[in-house]
Amino acid sequence: MADTILVVVEQREGKLNRVSWETLTAGQGIAADMGWTLEAAVLGKGASGLASEIAAKQLAKVYAIESPALEPYTPDAYVFALKQFLASHQPRLVLMPHTYQVRDFAPQLAAALKRALISDCIGYKHEGGKLLFTRQMFQGKFAADVSFSGEPPWFATFQNGAFRGDQVKAGSAAAPIETVTIQIPEGTVRNRPHEVFKEAKQAVDLTQAEIIVAVGRGIKEQKNIELAKQLAEALGGEIAASRPICDAGWLPMDRQIGSSGQTVAPKLYLALGISGAIQHIVGMKGSRTIVAINKDSEAPIFEVADLAAVGNLFDIVPPLIEAIKKAKAGA
Amino acid sequence: MSVLLFRQPLPNVTRPQMEADVVIVGGGPAGMACALRLSQLIDNHNGKNPDSPLSKENIYVLEKAREIGQHCLSGALLDPRSMRELLPGFEKEAPLDAEVSQEAVYFLSRHSKFKFPVTPPPLRDHGNYVISLNRFVKWLGGKVEEAGITIFTGFAGSELLVEGDRVLGVRTDDKGVDKDNQPKGNFEPGYDLRAKVVILAEGSRGSLTKQLIGRFQLDRDRNPQTYGQGIKELWEIPAGRVAPGQVIYTMGWPLTSKEYGGAWIYGGKDNIVSLGFVTGLDYPDPRLDPQRVLQEFKRHPFVKGLLEGGKMVRYGAKSLPYGGWWSVPPVSGNGWMILGDSAGFLNSQRLKGIHLAIKSGMLAAETAFAGMLKNDFSATTLAGYGRAVDSSWIKDELWKVRNFHQGFEHGFWHGMFHAALQQVTGGRGLHARYAAHAGHRRLKKLSELPPDGGGEAHLLGNAKGDGKLTFDKLTDLYHSGTKHEEDQPAHLVIHDTDICNARCVQEYGNPCQHFCPANVYEMVEDPAVSCGKRISLNPSNCVHCKTCDIMDPYEIITWVPPEGGGGPNYDGM
Repeated sequence: MADTILVVVEQREGKLNRVSWETLTAGQGIAADMGWTLEAAVLGKGASGLASEIAAKQLAKVYAIESPALEPYTPDAYVFALKQFLASHQPRLVLMPHTYQVRDFAPQLAAALKRALISDCIGYKHEGGKLLFTRQMFQGKFAADVSFSGEPPWFATFQNGAFRGDQVKAGSAAAPIETVTIQIPEGTVRNRPHEVFKEAKQAVDLTQAEIIVAVGRGIKEQKNIELAKQLAEALGGEIAASRPICDAGWLPMDRQIGSSGQTVAPKLYLALGISGAIQHIVGMKGSRTIVAINKDSEAPIFEVADLAAVGNLFDIVPPLIEAIKKAKAGA
Repeated sequence: MSVLLFRQPLPNVTRPQMEADVVIVGGGPAGMACALRLSQLIDNHNGKNPDSPLSKENIYVLEKAREIGQHCLSGALLDPRSMRELLPGFEKEAPLDAEVSQEAVYFLSRHSKFKFPVTPPPLRDHGNYVISLNRFVKWLGGKVEEAGITIFTGFAGSELLVEGDRVLGVRTDDKGVDKDNQPKGNFEPGYDLRAKVVILAEGSRGSLTKQLIGRFQLDRDRNPQTYGQGIKELWEIPAGRVAPGQVIYTMGWPLTSKEYGGAWIYGGKDNIVSLGFVTGLDYPDPRLDPQRVLQEFKRHPFVKGLLEGGKMVRYGAKSLPYGGWWSVPPVSGNGWMILGDSAGFLNSQRLKGIHLAIKSGMLAAETAFAGMLKNDFSATTLAGYGRAVDSSWIKDELWKVRNFHQGFEHGFWHGMFHAALQQVTGGRGLHARYAAHAGHRRLKKLSELPPDGGGEAHLLGNAKGDGKLTFDKLTDLYHSGTKHEEDQPAHLVIHDTDICNARCVQEYGNPCQHFCPANVYEMVEDPAVSCGKRISLNPSNCVHCKTCDIMDPYEIITWVPPEGGGGPNYDGM
């Protein structure tokens, strides 16, 4: 069996899900550590178009798996197509982003092949010749290293934000693309998807933001949210909040960060007047740089902050906005 | 300013109707035992009467947790008596952590401990098992499903369907309702499950049970139910300190003689220790915080010595009914029966109720089975359940301790005196029936209490926590894994928030902020309100302990189930 890693990237309506790049970064890392070969597969109508985008990256080969039955997405079609593909290609490791779509079909795929799936990993390690995958337990309090013991192919999925999509290495030359056509017999697909709908309120995907300005109770009044918005605008970032702010209706609920909101890992997270209860911390502790402004020097947010400003945010933020504007104008 | 809107079944909604034979509300030990026993009786009947089989298809268990056992929490020690009757030889396959190997009772003062030379008989636990109730129920629920009975997880009973004196069924929770009580895109109306018999096994202070008791005045001539609140933490500690099967009870510190309660420490497998504190919900000072009581307890040198260097891994809280035999309402009527903690089957002296819950479930199943045979679930037929309880060991056990908790109404030392007297008079003591008072009525107003708390100062206000041995409430709460859909109306229905913002703030200092173990209730600054503060709710923090429904001094809070599937995510609790 060839020691190959297959990254199954995700697309919808011809657009790659950004998190696919993260999985490719992980795949490149594992391939380098283990001396394995990295390949990628993209499924669905128009897969070959996307395949060339992926082929520019450092990997050995890209497969465009096509079948009319793969559009629109159904778990049955995906499982059938991948099952057939894997039977002939037999990679050792199959990596996928831990998206809603993957969560929908990956367990079925692994179970159908009677293979193991380690889901929602936040990293990997190469120790003593063994490949280990790290998963969170007790809601992030512990991390467990897990390894595969059964037969390959092994399936693993990576959590959003576990790797950096912008670090995926470009290849010296475009990788070859092979189009694989899969016949999906009538009757295989038992699901009949209806129109895609979003929850009534337009959801903001904060996981895609690079800069987030988040406000907490320290903002005091609804009208002061404007100040935070100005800062976010100056920085070119998104506005977000801890639970009490969204609960009060000062910002919509889809801007809530934390255990009952979104989990984010932007490059810069600015926490204004957020005390930093553990419920909030778990939603943002993966941020690259955390800047916290709080008047209480004992606020737990400072334990995770890279840069701490103890003081009144109303004194600090306005000059900060001016400074940023100036710096940007000068640049 | 956000306006508080409360959950209510949506009006003018066409609800799917579903016919059922038996609906059991609540998949805890009582409900699961009931379902399993009923299945056994039906299997047995069908084996003997292949020509007139009974169907299990229309027997349903409603469970508000997303998964079986997720909302179950207890110490827990299991007295195996009823399980041996339900599933002989269950010990071989049930998830039991350890058999009790040694026990000790201590009285704690602020800095020292005194070991009772002899363990008092009610606290002798040899032959009992240390278990995690949620894992145990998960296992038991698996048996129920294997037996072919459907468990609807993620569905709560939100209302009883009643006509005249008869309970006709249960309405399940509406799903996909937003904060303003408006249906969202994913709205699904609750079902009207029309059942021949509704069996309430909701646990302590069941919300449908409360509706039923109120509607039919089932508490007439009974002692008011009294409660305790148990706060539990699971710790992983360095090896060699607490052996598997080791049981420690303490009385005294940090409580003073004015509060009722005590602690448990049970050694489980793999250096996991269950530790918790039960505080009677009849303490006088409204500023007392039971979660803080547990934190203070852990700071005692004896406890600290056991925990130091360890890690808190889980947290949870529940209320438990203390009132005993004189508080048990009629347990059946036309189309309904009440089981387990919902009925108040708990031995407050032994701190045990699981075995009684299971037994009550079995007895109710036998009555329900009799009803199925003659297709009659009238009050007359179902009265068989009450009679079965009376002639079973449930009554034997509860009768002996019928006056136990009431003896402590005037403090610890009075209580010890009455308990000793009851011990030698078969449970009677000084009076045939000791009266009881609802715990919230014993709360004193701030004006009657020392501003600094006096001798209780160390129990008052929210704990700060050092992050290692002690924890603030939000950190503790995080370890309960609690989650709810955020966009839904508040399920803690406050009937008049003006009382909170104008009266309670003066009279009692909003005790909800303290007795709630999950930080659901907060007073937030609001210049628009005359006292400067207004009540604010964090319903998504709720661990479903029902303490607010029990302890609020004005009786204006009603706990109703939130959208099914929400709640704590107990594991190993």
